[in-house]
Amino acid sequence: MYRYFLSWRYFLARRTNLIGMVGIFVAVAALILILSIMTGFLEESRKTVRGSLSDILIEPVFRHELTQEELPPDPFDLLAAVRAQPGVVGAAAELQWGGIITQSGKNQEQYERILSSSTHKELLAVQLVGVDVRGFERLTQPLLRTALLPWGPLLPPSEIQDEFSSTDFLAALTRSAPEDEDAFFSSSAPVKIPLLPFLPPADYEPLGRPKAGAIIGQQLFRNLGLRRGDVIQIATAVPDPDNGEWKVNNRKFVVAGTSRSGENETDLSRIYLERTELIDFLRDTRRFTQVLVRVEDFKRDGNRIRDELRESLAAAGVIQGGPYARQEVRTWEEFRGNLLGAIENERVLMAIMLSLVLVVAGFTIFAILSMMVTEKRRDIGILCALGGTPKGILDVFLMIALWDALIGGFFGAVLGTWGAIRIDSIERWLSKTFGVQIFNRDVYLFDHIPSIVQPMAVGVIVFGAFVCALLFAAIPAWRAARLDPLEALRYE
Amino acid sequence: MSSPTLPPPRAPVSSQDATLVARGVKRSFPMGERRLDILHGIDLELRRGELVALVGASGAGKSTLLHILGLLDRPSEGSMEIDGRDPWQMTVSKRALLRNKEIGFVFQFYHLLPELTALENALLPGMISDSPLAYRRNKSRYLERTRAMLARFGMSERLEHKPPQLSGGERQRVAMARALFHDPEILLADEPTGNLDRATGEKVLELLFEEQKRRNLSMILVTHDERIAQRCQRIVTIEDGRVADSNG
Repeated sequence: MYRYFLSWRYFLARRTNLIGMVGIFVAVAALILILSIMTGFLEESRKTVRGSLSDILIEPVFRHELTQEELPPDPFDLLAAVRAQPGVVGAAAELQWGGIITQSGKNQEQYERILSSSTHKELLAVQLVGVDVRGFERLTQPLLRTALLPWGPLLPPSEIQDEFSSTDFLAALTRSAPEDEDAFFSSSAPVKIPLLPFLPPADYEPLGRPKAGAIIGQQLFRNLGLRRGDVIQIATAVPDPDNGEWKVNNRKFVVAGTSRSGENETDLSRIYLERTELIDFLRDTRRFTQVLVRVEDFKRDGNRIRDELRESLAAAGVIQGGPYARQEVRTWEEFRGNLLGAIENERVLMAIMLSLVLVVAGFTIFAILSMMVTEKRRDIGILCALGGTPKGILDVFLMIALWDALIGGFFGAVLGTWGAIRIDSIERWLSKTFGVQIFNRDVYLFDHIPSIVQPMAVGVIVFGAFVCALLFAAIPAWRAARLDPLEALRYE
Repeated sequence: MSSPTLPPPRAPVSSQDATLVARGVKRSFPMGERRLDILHGIDLELRRGELVALVGASGAGKSTLLHILGLLDRPSEGSMEIDGRDPWQMTVSKRALLRNKEIGFVFQFYHLLPELTALENALLPGMISDSPLAYRRNKSRYLERTRAMLARFGMSERLEHKPPQLSGGERQRVAMARALFHDPEILLADEPTGNLDRATGEKVLELLFEEQKRRNLSMILVTHDERIAQRCQRIVTIEDGRVADSNG
């Protein structure tokens, strides 16, 4: 009984014990907070990157360098082969091309000036993404099935495979702007009918031929100060099919709305167009650049389906295969492997660095207990005279460290978990209160601080705090247990 | 979980009525390459209910002998028996339990724990002997007994005071209550009045003698005071680590 009683009394009586306890508290809270944020970053990265990339990406090499063998310019055969693969639930062709967004009314000379300077403020490189959306079909099919055909509801619905079925494009069109943001952020313009995203706004009154609709990444939209219905001009370069020379091409589009993937990089650079419109803009030099594939269970089957696609598509002659197969068919994780690996590394490094805080707290406990053993030498002698055993004395001092770990660890876990859950609002409050932007949402991939508290990780951290405290307390406690009771009794 | 128990006592081999027997006890300490001999073969028997004064000049070895008899120190040579059992043949925990239950210590400098109140200090032997569960079970009985004992020592108003708030005489009374907590067979008192003024010392001594008589304690009292020694049943004089005289 005296082990618990005395250790608790000694713990309360010596204020210096608070230092050890606070050390453990800070270390545990910081570890949980940082690891939760890093885990959140990792998971959020996975989610957002997955959203814009789809599960598997097929980027055919259109011309073999050695054999000069060319693949068909249209994606139909490739799509048919991909959709035939078991486990694939959606596949759609995409055409991606680079461009420059400019203000209207520029002449050739002005473009030359803009293009010749990499730092020109009007040089705004964008990624043009041509997508297939079968929104009209999606909207009318249920009507036709139920209203026009009496046996319609009995038929299995025909599969509509487009950008919506292969990526999170629909979510990007309907995702709302971040909450409680300032006026800048709230100036997004979600499309009116998400299934028909490229429809120009109702109040659009074109001067001359109507322009095709374009969907602008929300950050880009905000940065350019655009409104729905504005006309933007995009310049791009396309090779001349006759002589291969690259020529600049311009086209104007009407802003139909915004998309928000939640990934800054994407939302700052993407402009979505209808694929047929982009093919026309590129003078039919390209009809697709990639096929986006969604599988039923990526975690379980992703890698297997990728491997099977490499073989089956090469055999069908719709990709080059052979040495190109690895770069032609990739999972989204392979695409962003470096980024995900870097975040994971950062998480591990941060955990190692923060563990040092725990070690420092351990050293504090060691120093405090060493002082206490010296100070309490006579008490140790008295306890021996009253029947205390060396093991009992050892336990008394070990338990002081245990109280440090128990209280510091508990409150550290509570604060760390609370902080991790509320980190976004805490950051906003701190930024507002002190007038300093702590988390720059333009720099990072996300518009909020992601955080995921893993109960297992919290448990491991608190357990680590206990082990650390007990390890560092073991030496002074062992010294106390080995004290000669007579020497201890004589100690003044 | 109940309290651990000691092995049953055997019949004493030396003397039928002896509680504590020391035979040829020697104690020496290494001093560099030499050895410093403190005790040169002490033979001593403490009979049940006997009050023995241990006298001698400073440095004669009285305290060393008392510590050996109280199992705080191990003799370099010789043997010991307490209630017919050799404590140095026991495990560390059994010996500690024997010290806890059967031997009470009263020190010259009280040796109370400053963080604990008078009552808690007196309860400490119970906390040491019992597991948390057993202590919880026994707590009310312990409290009742300890409060009664402290009240008998005139300490009922000072139960919640900590040692620094108590006078020397009060501290020694708490130390006595602590030593008598488990109603031990043997009480070892090392100059219990040595740090007190004469009047307070007298009062403390009266209480001590009264308890010894009431409980029929076997008690060894180390003292320099001839008057105190004369009140004991037997006086054992130690000179240069040997028993010079033993009379009563």
